[in-house]
Order: sequence, then C-alpha cells, then structure tokens
Amino acid sequence: MSAKKKAKEDKDEIEILQEKLQSIKGQEGIIGYILRASNSASIDLKDPTKIINYAILSATAFEAGQDISSMFEIGEVDTILLEGENTKILSMVVNSNRLSIFMEKNVDHNELCKDLNLT
Amino acid sequence: MNKDHYAVALKNALTEVRNICPDVSHSFIFTKDGMIIAGDPETEEKTMEKMMRSFQSVAEKSDTIGSLKALYVDGEKGKVILSSINDMYLALAASKNADTTYLHSVTRVIIPTILKLLETITPTPLQLTPSKQLVVDTLSGFFIGDSVQIDTELLEEWAKLLNQKDVNEVEIEAFSGKATQCKAKEINDPQLKGKGMIRIPEKLCKTLEVKKGELVKVKPAST
Repeated sequence: MSAKKKAKEDKDEIEILQEKLQSIKGQEGIIGYILRASNSASIDLKDPTKIINYAILSATAFEAGQDISSMFEIGEVDTILLEGENTKILSMVVNSNRLSIFMEKNVDHNELCKDLNLT
Repeated sequence: MNKDHYAVALKNALTEVRNICPDVSHSFIFTKDGMIIAGDPETEEKTMEKMMRSFQSVAEKSDTIGSLKALYVDGEKGKVILSSINDMYLALAASKNADTTYLHSVTRVIIPTILKLLETITPTPLQLTPSKQLVVDTLSGFFIGDSVQIDTELLEEWAKLLNQKDVNEVEIEAFSGKATQCKAKEINDPQLKGKGMIRIPEKLCKTLEVKKGELVKVKPAST
C-alpha cells in the first residue's frame, strides 16, 4: 500500500471515530474526550479548565496500563478504566490513536465500547 | 491479633482465592502509603513494588476524578484489577477468561468481609510499620557520625502513629535488597528540610550500595 493511500485511510478512520465520538458526547453523563493521533489531538471537554489535568491523567493511565501489562504478561492492552469518586475514564488505543473518554460513574462504559465497535 | 497474624490470615485468604479460581495468577494487598500487607506466594515482591509504583503514579494525578477507587487493565491475554478497600488496595491479575462476576465478588465482597472480620477480632488497632520512600543525599566529613538525618515532621509522624515518644532508629532498605538499621536524627540543614530526603553517611551508603539521588525505603526500626 502506498504511503499516500495509507495516510488517506488513517484520515478516514479518524474522521469516522470523531463522528462516533460526537454522537457519544451528547449522551447523558459524558464529560468529554481526548483523542490523540500521531500528529494531532482532538479535545472536547465540558469544562475546559480541566483540560491539562485530564490530559496528564490520560497519558499517565496509558503509561501505567503498558507497565502493568508487561508486569503481568497480559498482552496488548485493550482498555484501561480508572474509577474515581464520581468520575471514570475509559482509555483505549483505536487504530493507533489514543482515546480517553471521561464520564460520570453511572455511565455504562461497556455500552460505549459497543458504540465504538470495540467489542 | 498482631500484624503478623493479620498478614498471615490475609495471605491464606489470597491463596484460597487462587485455589478456588485458578484463573487468578497474582493477588496482593497494599496500603495507600505503598506498604505491602500480604501477597500470594507466587507473586514476587519486586512485581508488587513495581505495580504499586505504577498505581501511585496514577493515583497522584487523580484529583480531577476524586480519589482513585479502582483501576482495570484489560489485555488480550488477561486482566488486572486494582480495587480500593478502606485504606488498602487489592490487586488481582487473572487470565482473559476469568469469571468477571467471581472477580468482582472477591474484590467487593470476600476480601472486604475478611478485612472487616479481622478488624473485629483484633483487640487493638492494627499497627503497621509505615515505610516511606526517600531520596538519598550523602553526608560526608569528619564529624558526621553514624546517624542518618530525616525530616523532623516524618519522625514525629511515625512516633505518633506508633504511639511512641519519638523515633530514634530506622531501618533502611535499598532497592537492591541491601538493608541496615541505624540511628536517626532530624535534618540539620534548613535548606534540605521538607524535601523527602534522607541524608546518609558515605560509609553507610557504601554498605547499602546506594548513591545520591537514589530512592530507599525507610521505616522506624521495630522495637
């Protein structure tokens, strides 16, 4: 496959993913998301003052997920879920893009995975 | 019931959990402060420590979502669950096909019930020796003596926790496994106070095989 074709495919995949995220974002209890591709990032959060905190937490979750995976030999990481007092974060790699979705604790994150066609 | 019995009871509970559910490959319990309470015999202490460090790095940044209650990592060959129980955390690693309902029963019902039971039958509050990770700074010179220097606040905190007047001796353990016990005094250099440091005489650094800037685990010496 030529590099140009591959780049176009990647772009299409991101656009499809972003469309899905836009629809998920409207659901009750969803706080927002951060999508990091190799050269760009899309951030959509209800409270923009928390962007840095959420971005740092998301990056740390990915790092910890990788470390824990190699410690316990559980293979490539599918999803990482962090649960706080009232909020939770679902992080995953989708087509080599790092996605973290922030939501209230009562949201069914398994449904989100289905919505994203990840299960 | 003393702390050893408490740890043994928990260790047995974790071993039984593994016997009942062979899909569980590793399990251990640690405190928020990074102290391992009990672990199944198959899990190396190094693995537990690494896991705690990973967990703590996330926990430190979790203020935005409230305190961290649980962390789940789902991999293609297995899963890891880290769940808070009172002031402790239970870590479980299991194969991909492990029964999720059973794992949740272990993390949310069985172990919390055992902990509650142990606390009920413990006549006195459980006193676990609190350990801290401190950054090494070397002490050199003719008049340095054999004592290490630690923040006054930390020595006072330990004394309060252990219900002692003061803490004069500490146990130091390097990550290589080398350990020693020595006298402790408060840090006398005002510029180095409150920085999470332990000032160790050069000779002792050689014994422990540690260098300036490295981390060591320090706890009050058992009396």
